[in-house]
Amino acid sequence: MMIPSLLTMLLATTGDLKVGQFGMPVQASEVAPVIDNIFNFITWICIFFFVIIVGFIVFFMFKYSKPPGTPATSNVTHNTPIEVAWTVLPLILVIFIFYKGMDGYIDLRSAPLGAYEVNVVAQKWNWTFHYKNGATTSVLIVPANRPVKLIMSSQDVLHALFIPDFRVKQDVVPGRITTLWFTAIKAGEYDLYCAEYCGQQHSTMLTKVIVLDDADFDTRITEEANYIDKIPPDMLYVAGPRLYMRCKSCHSLDGSDMTGPTWQGLWDRTVDGEQVFTDGTTLSNLMGAGKLFDGPEDYVTQSINNPQQKIRMNYSGSMPTFKGQLGPLEVMAIIDFLKHLDKFDTDGNPLDSADDLATILDAAKAAEAASSNE
Amino acid sequence: MSKAIPAGNALDGANYLSHTKGFLSWAFTLDHKRIGVMYLISVLTAFFFGGMAALAVRLELFSPGTQFMGQDTYNKMFTLHVALMVLLVIIPSVPAAMGNFILPIMLGAKDVAFPKLNLMSYWLWIFGALFFVISLITGGLDTGWTFYTPYSIDIDSASAGHRFGGVLPALTGAFILGFSSIFTGLNFIVTIHRLRPPGMTWFRMPLFLWAIYATAIIQVMATPVLGITLALLAVERVFGIGIFNPALGGDPVLYQHFFWFYSHPAVYIMILPGMGIISELISVHSHKHIFGYKFIAFSSVAIAIFGFLVWGHHMFTSGQSPLMNIVFSAITFSVSIPSAIKIFNWIATMYKGSISLNTPMLYALSFLFIFSIGGLTGLHLGTLATDIHLHDTYFVVAHFHYVMMGSAIVAMVGGLHHWWPKITGRMYNEFQGRIACGLVFFGFNLTFFPQFYLGSKGMPRRYHDYSEALMSADKLELFHTLHQVSTIGSYIQAIGFFLTLYYLLYSLKWGRKAPANPWGGRSLEWQCTSPPPFDNFSEAPTVGDCYDFSVLEWDEEDQSYTWQADAHESGGESSGH
Repeated sequence: MMIPSLLTMLLATTGDLKVGQFGMPVQASEVAPVIDNIFNFITWICIFFFVIIVGFIVFFMFKYSKPPGTPATSNVTHNTPIEVAWTVLPLILVIFIFYKGMDGYIDLRSAPLGAYEVNVVAQKWNWTFHYKNGATTSVLIVPANRPVKLIMSSQDVLHALFIPDFRVKQDVVPGRITTLWFTAIKAGEYDLYCAEYCGQQHSTMLTKVIVLDDADFDTRITEEANYIDKIPPDMLYVAGPRLYMRCKSCHSLDGSDMTGPTWQGLWDRTVDGEQVFTDGTTLSNLMGAGKLFDGPEDYVTQSINNPQQKIRMNYSGSMPTFKGQLGPLEVMAIIDFLKHLDKFDTDGNPLDSADDLATILDAAKAAEAASSNE
Repeated sequence: MSKAIPAGNALDGANYLSHTKGFLSWAFTLDHKRIGVMYLISVLTAFFFGGMAALAVRLELFSPGTQFMGQDTYNKMFTLHVALMVLLVIIPSVPAAMGNFILPIMLGAKDVAFPKLNLMSYWLWIFGALFFVISLITGGLDTGWTFYTPYSIDIDSASAGHRFGGVLPALTGAFILGFSSIFTGLNFIVTIHRLRPPGMTWFRMPLFLWAIYATAIIQVMATPVLGITLALLAVERVFGIGIFNPALGGDPVLYQHFFWFYSHPAVYIMILPGMGIISELISVHSHKHIFGYKFIAFSSVAIAIFGFLVWGHHMFTSGQSPLMNIVFSAITFSVSIPSAIKIFNWIATMYKGSISLNTPMLYALSFLFIFSIGGLTGLHLGTLATDIHLHDTYFVVAHFHYVMMGSAIVAMVGGLHHWWPKITGRMYNEFQGRIACGLVFFGFNLTFFPQFYLGSKGMPRRYHDYSEALMSADKLELFHTLHQVSTIGSYIQAIGFFLTLYYLLYSLKWGRKAPANPWGGRSLEWQCTSPPPFDNFSEAPTVGDCYDFSVLEWDEEDQSYTWQADAHESGGESSGH
């Protein structure tokens, strides 16, 4: 059962993209075939030497296996020319391998001028992508056949951005800016992983790269920039599920306790001021005119922008700040989402299709098109 | 007749085991053999717990989603596995356990140069291990053995625990273990320089001693850097002084440089002694002179030297400059040459030999097979263009297990079988030994070969889960299949090791009494009784060419090798008394 499924995997191809040999994934970027050629070249060298080495071992093992007490038929102790030969020949070979690897690496590191730039912020345990036009997404959206340069920074610990199908990887280091570039060659969806261990939920710090053809890309990125303005002001909560993607690694909607408190029932508890903090204070005593928090909305806003100010009892306070990453409307949308959690299931999906963000944005687009046609 | 011909088995007479009795006679012994045995028992105990952690990790990865461990527990479990295996098992296993027992006897000395320092090394190991237990109790360690900053100094992090818990005791433990390692290395260097008996010239030393010597130099030169680094990390964690934390003006990449400046040479602390064992096993069990003695000896020294210059190849994606990456990649390839020389020379040693496929030899052959794969796949990782893709994936996991586990541990277990008759005076069940070796070899390859494939396909390491919700379907299905194969392999290995444990313990009481020289070894330990007497040699031993096996003949009745009657003149040279 296991073996046939492995075989089908080996033979499978994805669309018309080539799949690399020796277990390399699809070649979805310009540089991927270059890397794979080097990988194949080295692998063939390995196979060649491995067959020779193991061939000799197995042959000698059977040929010279003797009962105890049989003297060896040769007592040669060394042979300098042979030994020099098998020192120098591999040396020449590895110098060549090094050169090929360096050559490919220089390709990997040299971003062409005029590449489309995306700013990447990594934090435990999600990715945020910021585009030139002000759009912010939790999946990476890039144009096909155009060099893209990622300019990356980390809010907390080390992370690494890894797109296997593109053969690119780069650590994201707090206190530094690191960069990475690629040219995706085909529209589609590709995996993006965090490859540097970053703590508890390292294995959930995954997202997608969505590659779109130029025209689709421009439309999409414009929509991403102003989606929140298209939502009717009394329905801001519909943006909640989208924003919640960035919160879900620590906050549940089903009442289960994770790194942070659950959002289920959180709004009611906030209005009642039930929260107790690590310094022993209680929210109800801190909330009201002239106090630390004006009201429940202000408490949630401050908790998002300055999470270390008051840390809930029994939690470690590992939340990073989202100041500057969320616009005022988006913070309001999160508050509205907290107020309307009964309209969503525990994964954040709307129960009624009328509350679906995509539906509402489509309707807004249609209305716009209709008005511009008039 | 040569006076060096031993009296054979000494279990019933005077030997180092019967010399004195009682717990204190062991706890405060200055006898290198007893310290070696204590190390051996301690290291194998740590190996047991480290292995259990590995099996738990493999079981958790059998299917996507959470099987029986949550994310936190998983992260602590793989950290426990690596911390135990690297710091408590592989680094001290061959030098401190085997080396302690074998080195002075092989050299023809009565003990190491500083027996009290030797005892102190052992007790430092115990204290270091205790701190790891404290770390477990006070919250556990989930940073990986690398302690990468800023995660390891982030005291607010959910799982790194209290300021003084978890990470801090582990740092202290590693710091103390470092001293244990330094003292052992220092002891061996001085022993080899000062205690060689007359006639034991540098180029008459068995290659195992060359390997231990090269290792000891790395231990003494590199380990202090680790100690300083861990101390800085502890200071930063406790007092919040900015060294590596960017929030306080520090630099996390600097930490990686410091860490790998020790930890890459440490890789050779782990593998060089194993290579030394293999040189002995291959020549003794092929009953043929080692091929290219000087090339093998100098390749050990070359590995020790080059090993100091290549640490940056762990950091190709870390953000260090591309120029540095290129320089480190170039130097990295230089290490592959001495390793290749060794493999070619070992194979040439087998040529026209008289090979006995005993358990130790089977382990040595397993080593050649596994180390070839481990070494060759190092080419993919030393090459810049391909390492960028493979770094921090299962390809790396597979590669270093082929080198650390499949090579270093397999060599250690092979050496354990080789010297078991000498250490205990008993023979183990040869048939069961071969079966266990087969299980370990097969299980090992089944566990780790699929991981190369996992890695090149893109599966990152240190992942608790390969989630259906997050990964694309084609990758997920392949990851699942490969993880299943790998997990099954790990349990086959475990069966092999448990079988080994069983027949070795069984032999202690019921095993056949071992002769002085069951394999036909020429180095000096085979001139002692099995087990050796308290003071190793009552007279200065005869030092000859330790790879000239033509002077030994097989005694069918004793199942043992003895000196040929006329061998004293032709083979051995008297040590000039």
